[in-house]
Amino acid sequence: MRRYGIIVLVLGICLLVVGVLSLSWGQMKIPFLHVAAGLAQGMELPILAQVPVPADEMAVIWHIRLPRTIVGLLAGGGLGISGAVLQGIFANQLADPGIIGVSSGASVGVVLVIATGAAGITMFALPVGALVGALAAVGLTVAMAWRHGRIPVMTLLLSGVVVGMFLAAFSAAVLTILDVNKLQEYLFWTIGGLDYRRWEHVLLGLGPILGSSAVMLVLSRQLNVLVLGDNEAKAVGMAVKRYRLLLLVLASMATATSVCISGNIGFVGLVVPHMMRLIVGPDHRRLLPASLLAGAAFLVLCDAVGRVIWSGYEVRVGIMTAFIGTPYFLYLLRKHQQRLD
Amino acid sequence: MVLSIRDLCAGYSGKTILQNVSFSVGKGELVSLVGPNGAGKSTLLKTIRGLLPALQGKIFLQGTDITKLSEGEFARRAGYLQQQMQVPFAYTVREIVQTGRYPYLHWWQQSGKQDEEIIRASLAYTGALEFLDRPVQELSGGQQQRVFLAKVLAQQTPVLLLDEPATGLDLIYQEEIFRFCRELCVAGRTIVMVVHELSLAARFSSRLLLLSQGTVLADGKPEKVLTPELLTKAYGASIAVTENPLTGHMDIYTTGSGRQDERRAKLLATVLGREVTE
Repeated sequence: MRRYGIIVLVLGICLLVVGVLSLSWGQMKIPFLHVAAGLAQGMELPILAQVPVPADEMAVIWHIRLPRTIVGLLAGGGLGISGAVLQGIFANQLADPGIIGVSSGASVGVVLVIATGAAGITMFALPVGALVGALAAVGLTVAMAWRHGRIPVMTLLLSGVVVGMFLAAFSAAVLTILDVNKLQEYLFWTIGGLDYRRWEHVLLGLGPILGSSAVMLVLSRQLNVLVLGDNEAKAVGMAVKRYRLLLLVLASMATATSVCISGNIGFVGLVVPHMMRLIVGPDHRRLLPASLLAGAAFLVLCDAVGRVIWSGYEVRVGIMTAFIGTPYFLYLLRKHQQRLD
Repeated sequence: MVLSIRDLCAGYSGKTILQNVSFSVGKGELVSLVGPNGAGKSTLLKTIRGLLPALQGKIFLQGTDITKLSEGEFARRAGYLQQQMQVPFAYTVREIVQTGRYPYLHWWQQSGKQDEEIIRASLAYTGALEFLDRPVQELSGGQQQRVFLAKVLAQQTPVLLLDEPATGLDLIYQEEIFRFCRELCVAGRTIVMVVHELSLAARFSSRLLLLSQGTVLADGKPEKVLTPELLTKAYGASIAVTENPLTGHMDIYTTGSGRQDERRAKLLATVLGREVTE
């Protein structure tokens, strides 16, 4: 228990450091002192008031980097915790938010928004399209798996795969008739990114992600029981279907909102819970908070590094998470294999 | 009666396995369900616990129709140990036994000091307290079974339904599990369990229920149930029963299979990879 406290403390410090880095790094380098002073002065706190912060730095912090960082924290945390919940629901550490059709559903929503030209009307057309598509896909997946008032895990997994494939084909079909500009717009969306995030995106994601995360945290003890399977959970008096459905909806909500405000970002929902399980163990009462914090820190770190790794260019966060996530995942696989041998 | 089953028919969707099963179990009884594979022993246990719906008939647990019990109330009355439980992820022994406290907590509650005390006591009783913070996956089969039994005990139910709690364990562990059960019954708990080992069942149970093809073939004291005639009928093979004069236990074995015909000799030759000499 004490070890866990230290881990949470370390994750919290990481989060803070990464947050400061994210506000400081980029095309315009802002010194750490100015970041701190800029934040304090913007919030009218009675500290660091005497440190002069140039107006352009102030504008970059408050209008560009702060909303961007907060969107990253929200999306990363949402993907991290819902990845952990989904791996628990499926009792499978290879499950990720894509497995119940969230990503492919969001893609269909986005493709339709772009194809119909609605994307040009308002900046919220894409996120809303993604959200609606993702939730509809999850609904379809669950409806297909629903049999005699039960949702068997294996059927859910299979229907998720099938729905995913079908929707991917649907997206592909629409894409083949799109012109080059629209195709590029779609391509940009599929590689999730945090550029041009505004306070509106923060407002859009704040409620659903924080709300569903809070409820998932409260239900972590129930998730521990659910993981052991239908019979085991029923034997200790759990209303299995109700909780499985509730957790599915919450995880989908958090994932879909994350995708909605940041685009499709892979690996966070898969790798972060996996990594945390190795560090804090499989007990969801510890795993969920750890995955939430680590997911947020990981995504913002990837975004910050992506801004400075290649000067003059910005490597989108969806690419960075895969670049950092893939080698780590391979390492995990190999290590796991060695233990099995 | 703690448990009473009336005219029960049960099974999986579209396939009835149990037909017209009726019996009652009183407080403190240790009832073993025995019979050949596929006789419906596990199905019966699952139906009693409400994991499978009764297609016909009724089951009363402490006088209440089980279909009228809420999930929580049911779990506070009857514990269930499933056959060959699998634990995903590296859950520790404490975390697994903790799930036994689930029916006593509200959805917003976390387990407290009193739960921890019960968890420790249950593990200490089954001799598994030393594994408290070890991952269950790392333990041997016998150790795991003691942990799972502790989990059912932590649920503090008057009735325990155990599906093959001792199968596949070393002899010492098998007898240990049976001894735990007998002690619990003496203390007033009621246990219904599925057992494969007939002589062990006979030694430790107060009563046996012999199932065959979905019906109760015999019900009574072990020596009344484990007769050559009944067992031969249930298992479809010639079975003899003798009392071992040294131990006083029952020896149960099949006699003369009589299936050593020419066809089997040929099959064996093929299996062994030998030329069949005509």
